[in-house]
Amino acid sequence: MRDYDCIVIGGGHAGIEAASAAAREGFSTLMITQSLDAIGRLSCNPAIGGLAKGNLVREIDAMGGVMGHLIDQSMIQFRILNRRRGPAVQAPRAQADKFTYSRNAKELLEHTPRLSLFMDTVTDLIVEDGAVCGVVTQRGWKISSRTVALTTGTFMNGRIFIGEWDAPCGRLGEEAAFGLGDSLRRLGFDVGRLKTGTPARVRRSSLDFDELEIQPGDEEMLPFSFDYDCVDRPQLDCYVTWTNEETHRIIRENISRSPLYGGKIVGKGPRYCPSIEDKVVRFPDRERHQIFVEPEGVSTEEMYLNGLSSSLPEEVQHEFIRTLPGLRHCEIMRPAYAVEYDYLNPLDLYPSLESKRLRHLFIAGQTNGTSGYEEAAAQGLVAGINAALSMRGEEALILKRSEAYTGVLIDDLVTKGTKEPYRMFTSRAEYRLSLRHDNADIRLTRLAYEKGSAGKEKLERLEEKMRMMSDLKESLRAYRERGKNGLQLLKEPETSIEDLAVRIPRLSAFSVPVQREVALDIKYEGYLARQEAEAESLVKKEAMKIPQDFDYDSLKGLSSESREKLKQVRPVTIAQAQRISGLRVSDIALLMMGVRHWRGKGDQHK
Amino acid sequence: MNEYNVDQPIYALATAWAPSALAVVRTSGTGSVELLSRIFSSPGRLMNAASKTLVHGYLRAEDGSNIDEVVLAVYRQGSGYTGEEAVEISCHGSLTTLKRVFVRLEEAGFRLANKGEFTFRAFMHGRMDLTQAEAVEEIISSRSVKSQEQALDRLSGRLSARLNEIRNRLVGILASLEVQLDYAEDEILEEWVYPVSEVDSIISSLQLLSSTYAAGKIWRDGAKVVLAGAANAGKSSLFNFLVREDRSIVSPIEGTTRDYIETDIDLKGIPVRLFDTAGLRESGDLIEAEGIRRTQALIDEADLIILLADSADPVIPSSLADDKRLILVHSKSDLAPAEGHGISVSSVTGEGIEDLVDEIARRLGALSGEKDQSLVIDSERQHDYLEACISCLEASREASGQSVDIIALFFQAALENLGYITGEVTNEELLDRLFSDFCLGK
Repeated sequence: MRDYDCIVIGGGHAGIEAASAAAREGFSTLMITQSLDAIGRLSCNPAIGGLAKGNLVREIDAMGGVMGHLIDQSMIQFRILNRRRGPAVQAPRAQADKFTYSRNAKELLEHTPRLSLFMDTVTDLIVEDGAVCGVVTQRGWKISSRTVALTTGTFMNGRIFIGEWDAPCGRLGEEAAFGLGDSLRRLGFDVGRLKTGTPARVRRSSLDFDELEIQPGDEEMLPFSFDYDCVDRPQLDCYVTWTNEETHRIIRENISRSPLYGGKIVGKGPRYCPSIEDKVVRFPDRERHQIFVEPEGVSTEEMYLNGLSSSLPEEVQHEFIRTLPGLRHCEIMRPAYAVEYDYLNPLDLYPSLESKRLRHLFIAGQTNGTSGYEEAAAQGLVAGINAALSMRGEEALILKRSEAYTGVLIDDLVTKGTKEPYRMFTSRAEYRLSLRHDNADIRLTRLAYEKGSAGKEKLERLEEKMRMMSDLKESLRAYRERGKNGLQLLKEPETSIEDLAVRIPRLSAFSVPVQREVALDIKYEGYLARQEAEAESLVKKEAMKIPQDFDYDSLKGLSSESREKLKQVRPVTIAQAQRISGLRVSDIALLMMGVRHWRGKGDQHK
Repeated sequence: MNEYNVDQPIYALATAWAPSALAVVRTSGTGSVELLSRIFSSPGRLMNAASKTLVHGYLRAEDGSNIDEVVLAVYRQGSGYTGEEAVEISCHGSLTTLKRVFVRLEEAGFRLANKGEFTFRAFMHGRMDLTQAEAVEEIISSRSVKSQEQALDRLSGRLSARLNEIRNRLVGILASLEVQLDYAEDEILEEWVYPVSEVDSIISSLQLLSSTYAAGKIWRDGAKVVLAGAANAGKSSLFNFLVREDRSIVSPIEGTTRDYIETDIDLKGIPVRLFDTAGLRESGDLIEAEGIRRTQALIDEADLIILLADSADPVIPSSLADDKRLILVHSKSDLAPAEGHGISVSSVTGEGIEDLVDEIARRLGALSGEKDQSLVIDSERQHDYLEACISCLEASREASGQSVDIIALFFQAALENLGYITGEVTNEELLDRLFSDFCLGK
């Protein structure tokens, strides 16, 4: 008898979803975290969502995860991004009250049945016969479990850098986790180093607001969760300012003091989120860079300087930050810093997020080389669900690229690996027009219900919404004008659903979100058809499974390079093999034949 | 190159690519019968045909005219070579006919099979044992297929440089679109503006390349080579000699009138439709005048005109004097030695025929007007992908009023087509470009 069904190591965004999913699925679960006070911290920017990321949050919610609820209850500003750039690629983003978010996260876990919380640091895994079966902690506890979810974020061998100064921390002031990274290295895991950074926080009452542009939220606040129709919370403004020649001069003169340029940091940082010194060096012609000043919460004076992450020495930071309009007299409360940490090569994972090296070990979040709360949470949810499914002996939840950003995220990680902190982008998704944030429930809720993660109420809400959508389409079909029905009218670029709502009184019976969603479905129908046909052809190859004991050395005609790639990734399906970069069409054909033959042999033995 | 799979309808010529009396084109894949019925004269009979039966009829062009009289052998799922639903088309073996059949099959939704794909499918459907399958493995992994995949290897350095330059410019445009979709409007402040002149310039670069595809028209229709000259200049002898040069025995087909005869021959791998015409001499005779009018029409459409002149009397009609399509041939060089320019040929001794064939092949290869042979597109597929890329870009121009998420689709499709020639554009490459072109990140 094991102490728990599932142990989750870490209380960040991946850990929260993994632990609550496993518990929701009916399994006794223990979350072990270094600090109970640090559960669900927003270590970097005080915001959830954004392009592609907002879609991830809504997918998490559609599958029964908790991130949507947490942000809905802590948002202090809400916006729909990219309204003008196409309805299919809009996404919600909310500024969060960091402290409320974190407190709510802990409360939510405390109220989750079958979930226990324990403060300690895991230093080793207990392994038997190639499977994990428990953990060892710093204070000497040995706790057994059937499955383990590893979600340690930046804490494994974390080290932070501010100029010449560095310290073993996962976040400023919080000790890094030692022991586990070395244990994993000893167990043969492929451990690498990555780097990320965070900007300084300044004091609200020290800002010159007359020099800052105001950036308000949308008037209309919408929930991330599909469980209710509205959120109503007071909103705070964000602010915009700009760097200038003087800022850049100071940065350039001190560039050699940056650990990034001095060579102290070996881990690769994210190109999509460069430090200010990177921006200044790489784009010398830019006269100014935009900086957003964002509140970290309602009851705090700390303001986050979005766009100004840096690892320059503190006195240099003080000097250059005070060259920005609005910040000339600012009090710096926390310095910017870079953090370097261990990550595990995600190519060592199955698409279920179970480790290929240790059975029953699931790994999620920043540990897999990703960056961002949303990316972490999405993986945590899938890891938690799949730990549960594996304990029930059921088939793992593997989302297709055509089905969810979560599917794109995990498939990219386990098929291509990553060399820099991986962030989700819409351009990573081949079928982004279908992966809208508003239809995440239609895409995922039924599946999640069948897998035990989404509850009955969620499914019923979805069914009600789909009924409304089909009724609305019926009403549109019945309406006629200029020899066209409502559906045909809506296809015209110049006709919006709002226009039709004025002309067709019956439409007022439908909620605005339902109206908009139906309108998008119809307007994009033609463009979606081709994507769907493509996705359809992939489905067949997704169904062609490759046995995990398949011997790649038995395949004739492969180049040695292709053979090595296949042996490293050990794809689960032909479709996954096809996505490994550098593999040829002919390699895939040979693989298909090899697998067919392998299966044929297996049949003969039976 | 397309993926190998086990369901898409595919086609391939089962007999040799050479003029012959009959040829067999195989198709296979789900829906093959239905797809064929759309381009067949008796769709009902075909749809209802039992497995392993023959259906006679005509393949129809888009406009309803007949392409060829054919016999279709129908195999329902589980009964044919591949084990899939399949149809074998027996048609006439002229290269022109075959080419038209291929084009029509593509239009109907079939794609050209990869090397060994029929056998690959047969194995995948369990209709073949391991020994046979190993032979397919060899075909699939053979050198030629690999080099086909790495299409750039087949292009000359300058051509691939030019294509890559276009590809990079397109990646740049797509990156400028993607950045709008991957970063919010408060981070990327500039509104995306359709780059009219850049797209126009890319389209004209592509068109220029595409137009170098000399063989494009030739592969579809056969190059029209017209033998012209005075009545006794020796056209018929040369005609027969060139037909023999092809070595595959084809009896000349009578033309629609008795004014000329035509035949399909293969000259150095180029399908040629050779015409022997009536004399070019002015005539008061009405019937002969009609013949001359038809000859003139042929000459107008010709890709090359071989003007035969008696060596002793090289008279070039003034209308042809400056024609770039003209090859002047001194015939009967065995009777009188040639003087001046032109190629001397004797249809009796065969002297000079080699030179003439070389000249014809060279001229057909250079039809594009592109003087630099290293910048000529020589594969039909490459040409097709270029044309597809152009039409995606043209479509993007028409869609330029749409939102950027839609416009991006057109540029993605354009790059996908170009990528078949130059190598695929991956998401990673796009992101690389995005990060290097734009200063991003809050």
